[in-house]
Amino acid sequence: MAEYLLVESQGRYAGPGSQDFLGDAVRLVESGHTVTVLLIENGVTDGIGSVSDPLGRLIDAGARVWVDGFSLEQRAVLASRLRPGVRPVGMDEVAEHLLRPGVQGVWH
Amino acid sequence: MDTAKSRELPRADVLIAIMGAPHTGDLVTSAFRLTQALLERGASVHLWTCGNATRLTQLSLGDDKPRNFVDWARAYPTTATLATELLSTFPTTLHWFACRFCSQERGADAHVPGIKLRPPFKFTDHLEATDKSFFLGVC
Repeated sequence: MAEYLLVESQGRYAGPGSQDFLGDAVRLVESGHTVTVLLIENGVTDGIGSVSDPLGRLIDAGARVWVDGFSLEQRAVLASRLRPGVRPVGMDEVAEHLLRPGVQGVWH
Repeated sequence: MDTAKSRELPRADVLIAIMGAPHTGDLVTSAFRLTQALLERGASVHLWTCGNATRLTQLSLGDDKPRNFVDWARAYPTTATLATELLSTFPTTLHWFACRFCSQERGADAHVPGIKLRPPFKFTDHLEATDKSFFLGVC
């Protein structure tokens, strides 16, 4: 099975694209693939709250969900506002993960 | 300026293609951050700019952005300066390419040293020459 790093940079307020993209991530996880989602730029807004949406389903399905710490700081979003299961990371960790053999990245 | 004609394309770990409009959000910041983080880990990177992103390395940008009236003494480097610094810090592992058609269409084909112009139909060569690719700003 493949391993993916999916990067969501737009967030739900930019239109339905982010929810569709995260929905694709859910389907990948449900198909047995290993998925890590990184929320970056305005995509960090998807990491806030606790509503039942694709990101919630992703977390429930066991996907790893990261949020870019720099983007959080730029938007004055406290890490304490993130929903459970979402972890702040730095770009170093993202780069490290992307360079692992077999990991394929998709940026939305 | 280097036209990269008839030269072997170096293999690289990651291709980062900046396809979207560069100043509508944080796209450029993310691209620079990711590129730097990859390079600091010893990875090799092809960076390709298309469309208005080709202006990021335009020679006429100069070294600094216009002064900030509320912080007069601080210098804000242009993206061309940041690109030059990255290229000088990682001379063997960073390869920066600008789409020739997009550059010329905008009258922006005078880039800072180190940027290689490539025709758009050669883009697939970069996909073949890199292990992974990231397209930024197109969907």
